[in-house]
Amino acid sequence: MSDTALLTVRDLAIRIRGAQRNLVEEVSFSVAPGETLCLVGESGCGKSLTALALMGLLASPPLEIAEGAAEFEGQDLLTLPRTERAKLSGNRMAMIFQEPMSALNPAIRIGEQIAESVRRHQGLGHREAEARALEMLRRVRIPAPEKRLREFPHQLSGGMRQRAMIAMALANDPALIIADEPTTALDVTIQAQILDLMRALRDEAGTALIMITHDLGVVAEMADKVAVMYAGRVVEAGPMAEIFANPQHPYTIGLMSSMPSFGARTERLVTIPGMVPPIATMAPGCRFASRCPFRAAQCAQVPPLTALDGHSVACWRAPLERLEEPA
Amino acid sequence: MNRVILEAIALERRFTTDNPMFGTPTVVHAVNGVNLKVRQGETFAIVGESGCGKSTLARVLTRLIPASGGAVHFAGRDLSLLKPAEVRALRREIQFIFQDPFSSLNPRMTVGALIEEPMRVHKIGTRAERRARVGQLLERVGLPAQAASRFPHEFSGGQRQRIGIARALASEPTVVIGDEPVSALDVSIQAQVVNLLADLKEEFGLTLVVIAHDLAVIRHMADRVAVMYLGEIVELAPAEALFETPRHPYTEALVAAIPLPDPAMRRAEARVAGELPNPIAPPPGCKFHPRCPYAVERCARERPALSPADAQGRQVACHRAADLSLSGLAETETVRSPAAQRRFDLYAKARAAEATTE
Repeated sequence: MSDTALLTVRDLAIRIRGAQRNLVEEVSFSVAPGETLCLVGESGCGKSLTALALMGLLASPPLEIAEGAAEFEGQDLLTLPRTERAKLSGNRMAMIFQEPMSALNPAIRIGEQIAESVRRHQGLGHREAEARALEMLRRVRIPAPEKRLREFPHQLSGGMRQRAMIAMALANDPALIIADEPTTALDVTIQAQILDLMRALRDEAGTALIMITHDLGVVAEMADKVAVMYAGRVVEAGPMAEIFANPQHPYTIGLMSSMPSFGARTERLVTIPGMVPPIATMAPGCRFASRCPFRAAQCAQVPPLTALDGHSVACWRAPLERLEEPA
Repeated sequence: MNRVILEAIALERRFTTDNPMFGTPTVVHAVNGVNLKVRQGETFAIVGESGCGKSTLARVLTRLIPASGGAVHFAGRDLSLLKPAEVRALRREIQFIFQDPFSSLNPRMTVGALIEEPMRVHKIGTRAERRARVGQLLERVGLPAQAASRFPHEFSGGQRQRIGIARALASEPTVVIGDEPVSALDVSIQAQVVNLLADLKEEFGLTLVVIAHDLAVIRHMADRVAVMYLGEIVELAPAEALFETPRHPYTEALVAAIPLPDPAMRRAEARVAGELPNPIAPPPGCKFHPRCPYAVERCARERPALSPADAQGRQVACHRAADLSLSGLAETETVRSPAAQRRFDLYAKARAAEATTE
C-alpha cells in the first residue's frame, strides 16, 4: 500500500454481536487521492457493510466491527469518537446512496438540504450557503437550478434526485466519496449521464471515489482499481484492466461468464451454480468452494490473498491453467 | 415463417390522471397506436425507459387491463369480442411472470398451493394429478419437490422467481409474458434464470414476450425487439440487427448507453441529453425530437409513422431513417485477452463436467 493513500483499510471484520462467523472478514484496500476503487460483488457479499462501516453508519448493535483499522487523513475512522466522526461525514468524506428518495429528506426543499450541510461544516451564513447550493446544482447540470432549489425531492425525477444528492455530497469539496450503487435504480440513458457526470466531477476536483456496484459494465467504465468480494471476503483485487484481461478467481470468471456478453451471441450462458449459502452454515475454508467447479481438498483451508501476475487472488487453484498440465 | 399468435392493431390505452369537475381531464396516452405481431415460438422483447408504456402494453395485450382503442388478436380471434367464459379460457393460454416475485406471490399460501392454483382455477386434472404436477414443475425449475409445503418468504429472490415461473407454467400456456423477469436478480442468479427460461421455452414450445430495460439480457434472449418511446414503437427489428445497426436515433442512444463489461470498449460520452418528457404533455411531431441529436425542423412538426425499412421486416418511425448512418454494437470478434479467454474456456469446461442441473 502506498504512502500517499488517502484511505487505507486493514483487515476489516464485521459481525453480528455474539455470532460465530464474521459477515465481512480480512477486507483490506487503499485509495489514493483522485483514484476510483470499485467494490464488486452480489447481494450479501459485504460490499455495502464495508461502506457503511467506513461512513460510521453501521447499525450497531447488532452489527459491530470485530477487527481492523481504516486510516483516513491520519485518523482511524473505526475508533473515532462520535463527535469527531460527525465533523468528517458530509465534509471530508461523503456518501451517495442508491435510492435518493430515501436518502433525501422529503419535507425539506432541495436547496435547503444542500445549504444545511455547508452551513454546518463551513460555517457559512444563510445567503452564502444558498449561493453555494445554487452553484452546486449548476455543477451537477440540473436544468433551471434556481427553480429546483425551491422544490421538494418528490418533484424531481429519479435522475435529477440523484444529481441533487451528488450536489449535496460534493458541496463541501470532500476528499473521498463513497457511492453505493449510485446508478442501479436509473434507466440506461440516465445511468450513462450520471456516470459521465461523476467522472467529470471526480477529474475536476481530484476526488477519490469508492464505488460499490454489482455491474461489471459500470466497473469497466469507472474503475482504476477493483476488489471483487464474495461472502464477505475479497477474493480478487488489482488494477481494473488487469482484472478484466487476466481474471484468476473462479468466482470472478464465473461472474463474467454469467453476463450476456457483447461478443457472439451464445446459446447458453455459463453460470455459477447454486447460490450464496448463509454465512453461519458455510463450511470452513474457502467460502466459494461449495459453488466452485474447481474445488479440491485443499479448499477446506482459507486461501490467503496472494500476489499473482500483477494483482492478488485468494484461490488455491489459481492459476487455473496449471490444472490442465499433466502432473 | 411461423404463424402470428398475438397481434396488436392500433392498440391504445389512455389513463385519466386528473378529472376535475370543470375543465378538461388530464389524459396520458400510455400506449398510443401500437401495431405489432408476435409469432409463435419466438422471443419477442419490448424495451424502453421507465414510463415508456412497455408494462402497460403487456397488460393490455393480455387483457389484464382493457384497451381504450384498437384491438388485440390472439390466435386470430379478437379478444374484445370474447365472452367472459372465453376470457377465462384465454387466461390459461397466456401467463405472466412478474418482476418482483415477492409481491406477486401470496405470502399466506404455500408454494404448492400457489403453483396448484392456476390448475384448480382452470379445472385441470384431479387433485392427486395436480399435486404430482406441482412436484414435477418444482423440480423442472430447479427446486426440490418438498418446497411445495413451504412458504414464499422462506426462499431467496432467485428461488421465488423460479416459483413464479413454475406457477406460470402450471396451466400449460402457449404464451408467457415476463415483465422484467430477471432485472431484480443478482448477476449469477439472473444468468441461471435466463438459461432456465430458454430451456423451458424449448421444452414446452412457448412463445415468450419479455419486457425489459436491460439491453444486454435482451440481446441475449430475444429474436425480435420493439423499442418503445412515450407509448409508441419507434423501431422494431431482429435483435442482432437492432443492436448492430440501429436505425432510430433513440435506439442508437439506448445501445450507446449500455455500460460494456470490457474496458477496451469504453463508450463515448452519452449523446442523448435530458430525460423522458412529461407524458401528459408530449412534444409535438416526433416525440423524441427534443432529445434527438439529428432532429430537423420537420421532426417538430410531423409525427413519423412506423414504416418498413428493409426486406427483413424491420420497421422504423423516423423521418431521417433513410439518410442517417447510426452506430451500434458491432459483433466484433471478442476483444478478450487470450488469458481471459483461456480461463473462460476452462471454467466452461469444468462447469460442463459437473453437469449440474439448473
